[in-house]
Amino acid sequence: MTRLREILRWAIRGRSPAASHLLIAPTSLWLTLFLIVPVAWLLALSLTQRGPYGSVVWSLSWENFSRALNPKYLPILLRTLGYASATTFLALILGFPTAYYLSFFAGRRRETLMILLMIPFWTSCLVAIYSWIIILGREGLLNSLLLRLGLVQAPLSMLNTPFSVVLGMVYFYIPFMILPVFSSLEKIPRALIEASYDLGAGTLATFLKVTLPLSLPGVFAGCLLTFIPCMGDFLTADFLGGPRTYLIGNLIQSQFLMAQDWPFGAALTCLLLLVMLSGLYAYQRLELKEIERA
Amino acid sequence: MSRLTRRDFLRLAVAAAAWPLAACGKNQGPSVNFFNWSKYIGPDTLPSFTRETGIAVNYEEFADEEEMFAKLRSGARGYDLLIGTDYMISRLKGSNLIDPYPPGVLMSLGNLEAKFRAPPYDPELAFSVPYLWGTTGIGYNKAKLPKVPSSWLDLWDPRHQGKLSMLDNARDCVSVALLLKGFPETETSPEAFRQVKELLISQSPLIKQYSSTTYMDGLVAGELYLAMAWSGDVLQVARENPDIDYVIPKEGSYLWVDNLCLARGSGHREEALRLVDFLLRGDVAAGIANTVRYASPNAAAKAHLDKDLLKDPRVFPDAATASRLRFHAVLDAEASQLWNETWSDVKVAA
Repeated sequence: MTRLREILRWAIRGRSPAASHLLIAPTSLWLTLFLIVPVAWLLALSLTQRGPYGSVVWSLSWENFSRALNPKYLPILLRTLGYASATTFLALILGFPTAYYLSFFAGRRRETLMILLMIPFWTSCLVAIYSWIIILGREGLLNSLLLRLGLVQAPLSMLNTPFSVVLGMVYFYIPFMILPVFSSLEKIPRALIEASYDLGAGTLATFLKVTLPLSLPGVFAGCLLTFIPCMGDFLTADFLGGPRTYLIGNLIQSQFLMAQDWPFGAALTCLLLLVMLSGLYAYQRLELKEIERA
Repeated sequence: MSRLTRRDFLRLAVAAAAWPLAACGKNQGPSVNFFNWSKYIGPDTLPSFTRETGIAVNYEEFADEEEMFAKLRSGARGYDLLIGTDYMISRLKGSNLIDPYPPGVLMSLGNLEAKFRAPPYDPELAFSVPYLWGTTGIGYNKAKLPKVPSSWLDLWDPRHQGKLSMLDNARDCVSVALLLKGFPETETSPEAFRQVKELLISQSPLIKQYSSTTYMDGLVAGELYLAMAWSGDVLQVARENPDIDYVIPKEGSYLWVDNLCLARGSGHREEALRLVDFLLRGDVAAGIANTVRYASPNAAAKAHLDKDLLKDPRVFPDAATASRLRFHAVLDAEASQLWNETWSDVKVAA
C-alpha cells in the first residue's frame, strides 16, 4: 500500500519528465491511435493513385491535389463556408440568450432545461433528420399548422431548401454553442457584476462592459465548435437539402462511397483540413495579440 | 403476492446471466448471412426457409449499392450471400469480392427464363443467379399533373420546376442522358460526355432532390410530381395509392437484373447455396415478386404470381415496350470512372 502511495506521489508530484509522460500516456495513446494515425493514413492515401474498380495503387503522385484544386470545386467550398458561417451566426444569436438565461435566471429549472437541451443529442441523428422531414414536408406538421392559422394560403416549400439545411444544422450544433457560452458565463464572479451596479452602471452598460467581454472566450470556443463540424457536415445537406445545397462534405462522401475514388476523397479531405487548420492558426495568432495588448 | 426470497433472486440472477450464453448456443446451429437491398424480400420468405431447413438467416439490408460495394471493399467480412446488380458483377469479380458458383450444384437453376440464363453481363451465370429484375422509368403523381408523362424530357420540363427528382447515381442518370443524346452506352468520347454533362446540368435547376431512397415519400406527399424511379418502388406504393403511377418513357429505357452472389471468404457456403436454391423455387420467387412488385426472372414462378402482377405491363412489359428496353452495357474500369466523374461534376455544378 505504501508502495503504491509512493508511486502515486512520484507520479503526481514528480517534476521528472518521465512521470508526466506516464500521466499523459493514455491521452497520447488515444491521440496517436485515433488522430495521428488516421490523418497520416489519409495523407498517404491522398498521394496514391486510383486503380480499376476503386482500388488504390500505391504510387506517389500529386495528381489528386491538382484535381482537387480545380476551380470548379471553389464554389462548393465557398458555399460550405457560407452555410457554416450562417449556422454559426444563428446558433450564436439563439444560443447566447439561452446560455444567459440558463446561467442567470433559470434557477431551479436549470437542471431540467439542461437535460432537455441534451436529449436531442442522445437520439440518432437519422431519427432527428427524418423527424424534420415529417415536420417540414409539404403536408407536414408545420405547413398544416400555418394553413390552419391562416398565415399562408398555400403550403410552403420548406424541405430541400437552404432554409431546411440551415435549420437542421443549427438544430444539431446549437448545444456546441450553448454549453461553452454557459460555462464561461458561469465563471464570471457575480461580485464583479454587483460591483458594476454599485458603481452606477445600468443593466445594459453592465452587460456590455462586464458580462459580455468576460464571456467572450466561451463565445469564441462555441463558434469554433459549431463552425468546424458544419464544415464537414454531409448528412443534413443530403437529407434536408437539394441540388443547390451540395457541400464539400457531400463531395468527399461521394468520392468514398459513390465514385469509389478514395485517393481523390483523401486529397479533398486533406485540403479541407489545411483550410481549417490555417484558419485556426490565424485565429490563435489574433487571440494572442489581443491578450498581449490587454 | 409472494415475497421475492433471496433464493428466488439468486435463481433469477443465474438465469439472467445464463440467458446470453443460451442465446449464443442457439446461434451455433447452421446459419447464413444475407446482404440484400432494403425492402426486397417477401415477409415470409426467410422464416419459411428457416422452418424448412433449420438454417437461421442473419439478414442485413443496404439502401445504396455503391455503399454496399464500398463497405465490402473496405474489408467488411461476414457476409455469405449478397445482391449485386448486373453492372456490379464485373466490379465485384474484379475486386475479388465474390466467388463463382460450383457448377451443377443448384437444382432449380432450370427454373429461370431462357433470357436470364445467359444475360450479357454474365453469360454462363458463373458468378450470379438472377433474383429479380426491373426497369428504370418515371414514377409520377397523377393528381398533380394535367397529362401523364410519356417522355424522359418531361423530367426536363420547366413547368415542373422544383417538383422533379432524379435517382442519385451515375448508372441511371448518365445512361439516360446518353440515350437522349443518341449515343450508345459504350460511348466514351469526350464530346459525348460533354453533351451528357451539359444535358444533366441544364436539368439541375429544376430538380428538387437527387435521391434513390426518399423519392417515393415525395411523390406520395405531392412534394414531387415526377421522379426518375425504379419500377417496383413505385408499384409497391401504387397498389395502395391510385394517384401514383409508373411509365417507361417512349425513348426507351434499361432493364436491370439483381443477382444473388456468393461472397468470397464466406464460412457458410453450403447454407448460402441452399438458400439460393430455395429462392429459385417457383413458389418462393413468386412470393417475393408479389410483395416487392418487381418482375421475377423465374419461369416457374409465373404460376404462383398474383394475376394482376403478371398482367401488369408496367412489371412485365408488353412486346412493344420490351423492344425499347435493353440490358445495361458492361463497362470497363475506365468507363465506370468516366461515368462517376461525370456524375460528380453534375452534382458539383448544380
